[in-house]
Amino acid sequence: MTFILMILTFIVMYYYMAINKEEEYHIRTMPAMTAIPEAVGRAAEMGKPVFWTPGIAGPLSDSTQGPQTLAAISILEYVTEECAKAGVELAAYCPLSDAIPLVEETMRTAYLRQGKPEEFNVEQIVFIEGQSAYLSGTLGYFQRARPASNILMGGFYYEAVVIGEAGNTIGAMQIGGTNNTHQMPFLVATCDYMLLAEELFAAGAAISRNRDMLGSIKGEDIMKLLLVALTGVGFLLGAAGITVIADILGW
Amino acid sequence: MSFLANIDRRVFYWILFIALMVPFLNPIGFPIKIAENTRDLYEGITGDSVEPGDVWIINFGYGVSAWSECHPGVTVCAKALLREGAHIILIGPHTDYELTYNHLLETAKEDFDAAEYGVDWVFLGYITGQEAAIAQLASNMRSVYPTDHFGTPLDDIPMMQNVNTWHDVSGVLSSDTGDWGGYFLTMWQEAYGVPMAQIGIAMLGSTGIPRWLAGNYFGMSVGSRGGAELEMLIGEPGDAIIAMDSISVSHLLIVIAVILANVGLLVERGRGS
Amino acid sequence: MSQILKREVVYAITGIVTILMLVEYFFFPESQTWAEMIRTWGIIIYNISLGLGAVRLSMAHSMSVQRRRENWQYSAVLLVALVVMTLTGLAGYFTTGLQTSNVIYNWLFVNVYTPLGATLYPITGFYIFSAAYRAFRARNVDAALMLIAGCFVILSNAPAGEAIWVGFATIGEWFRFTGQVPGMRTFALVGTLGMIAYGFRALLGKERGFYAGGGEE
Repeated sequence: MTFILMILTFIVMYYYMAINKEEEYHIRTMPAMTAIPEAVGRAAEMGKPVFWTPGIAGPLSDSTQGPQTLAAISILEYVTEECAKAGVELAAYCPLSDAIPLVEETMRTAYLRQGKPEEFNVEQIVFIEGQSAYLSGTLGYFQRARPASNILMGGFYYEAVVIGEAGNTIGAMQIGGTNNTHQMPFLVATCDYMLLAEELFAAGAAISRNRDMLGSIKGEDIMKLLLVALTGVGFLLGAAGITVIADILGW
Repeated sequence: MSFLANIDRRVFYWILFIALMVPFLNPIGFPIKIAENTRDLYEGITGDSVEPGDVWIINFGYGVSAWSECHPGVTVCAKALLREGAHIILIGPHTDYELTYNHLLETAKEDFDAAEYGVDWVFLGYITGQEAAIAQLASNMRSVYPTDHFGTPLDDIPMMQNVNTWHDVSGVLSSDTGDWGGYFLTMWQEAYGVPMAQIGIAMLGSTGIPRWLAGNYFGMSVGSRGGAELEMLIGEPGDAIIAMDSISVSHLLIVIAVILANVGLLVERGRGS
Repeated sequence: MSQILKREVVYAITGIVTILMLVEYFFFPESQTWAEMIRTWGIIIYNISLGLGAVRLSMAHSMSVQRRRENWQYSAVLLVALVVMTLTGLAGYFTTGLQTSNVIYNWLFVNVYTPLGATLYPITGFYIFSAAYRAFRARNVDAALMLIAGCFVILSNAPAGEAIWVGFATIGEWFRFTGQVPGMRTFALVGTLGMIAYGFRALLGKERGFYAGGGEE
């Protein structure tokens, strides 16, 4: 049944992406994404760098954490372009060895797209393996460089609350985003703007305003409505002692 | 009074640091009520739930830094399973897995001394590759672990001779600080129906409790409190029960700090209006 | 050629691997021949990337030492530690099959690396304390409700809370076992849908992050 629901999701999304070319798609503004230019502007005014990190939870081989890291890298591209435009230094602290080539290539391409390939320095990307080492390296960077803005997007473990609170200590503007439910409360408490759960994955589409990507989000929302309706009907039937929906979904 | 809303955090850090030490020196001994999720976990690894000869996997998905939260629960579960006559496979994805294994041998010394390595338990060692490795473990253990941690081929280990896939495993206990419980959930419990439970840190409570309520986990131990409850269930007080007084103090201090902050905020507002 | 390698070949590999893994997971769970092979390669590639990280670290810090940049001394310490741990671990592995059998390796790991790592986890407790002090303020009705719920949950987890008043435990447990469960399930469901949608966009080559800025416009 899960496989069928997944294929149905693909079909619905494909319909809105590729087949239905008449409708214009609009998604609501995500304050966290509109705050990124503001964060970069703040850094430009203060003469301080912008800090980006994807957290340590998301090696690309992981099915639940890897997509968060990839979504964070999509957002990194946007952040890098904004920083390149404004002439602001960007520090990318990435503790994931398998994501480093993607981060490097994304930043290099972003600088190239802005016509400033010479401003890209591979040493902007700092790789620190190990949660404790990564944490102490990040805290040290905060104390030394005092970045004006922190972008904490991706899969996080307990370092979320430490990095977030350390950022608050230095007065940085913080934008967070994660799909890890156990870390969401900590990022919400420490960040000024937040992307929750699927907003992290939709953020890349929201920035690009690419019609196909927005279509996939529309398809996703249609599936969500269908699942909500199924849940509601299943709940009502279940309350009456009829478990047909639950039996079908468990098939 | 409005200064209460702007107290320097370093004052709180010092108060917390000192307050946490006091209960270790003078234990208070608050009574601990046992939660249903912890009781379900304990009942799932004892009594009629476990037959002699059943093979269980215990995953050390935590490092030394999380010993206080996860290790008491793992100790109790290892003791309980060995006393039921079950066989245990120990694996670990953290770099300090060997330290955790040695610590388990100390904290459950009597039970491990009475058991025989290779017959009652085996330590397979470090596992890498995240979810892919856990999935591979379900379909072909020998492709992930050709030997145990000490270099002995699995075919030469008595308890592993007929154990290679999920078919041969009766249950999984994943003690972790992050996603290893989720990997076992998708690749073992959901895929093949292997019973599993989680012994997690307190942060994982919000994620794990819905899974226990939905029946994905047969039980769940949450943080140090869960470890203390397990120690009470087995009747052998240990590190977790000792730590509970400090946890009580820290929680009370958090609530007091929050109350002070809000009193300060109200006073500031009152002045403003 | 590089554009083809960057895009088309990546799409093809991603698509084929995805289809094989999905079909075998759902329809042939007992005999996952292709999935096993793909997973084995996935584990190998993941571990090679660890080596890539080590090489990258070495290059970056060697450059720092060579050019005497600020704090180059720390880079020198890192390089020495990297070499010592690698050589002693290999020595232990090739002599007895266990890297921890080497005395130097074991001593450094148990007495230096592990305590340093273990020290940072307790920082979380202090930072949570200051985060709660700063964030749990009743600025509006929503914040006040969250604050009250949070206090009940905190006090229900502490035995002292139950000792003060049994209601803290009762109400806190209601929040933990009933109140927050729908919210957490919602996040889990929508997050998973979001991941499915992201994966689908990546399969079709629409996601730039997946292709390191090289996806379709």
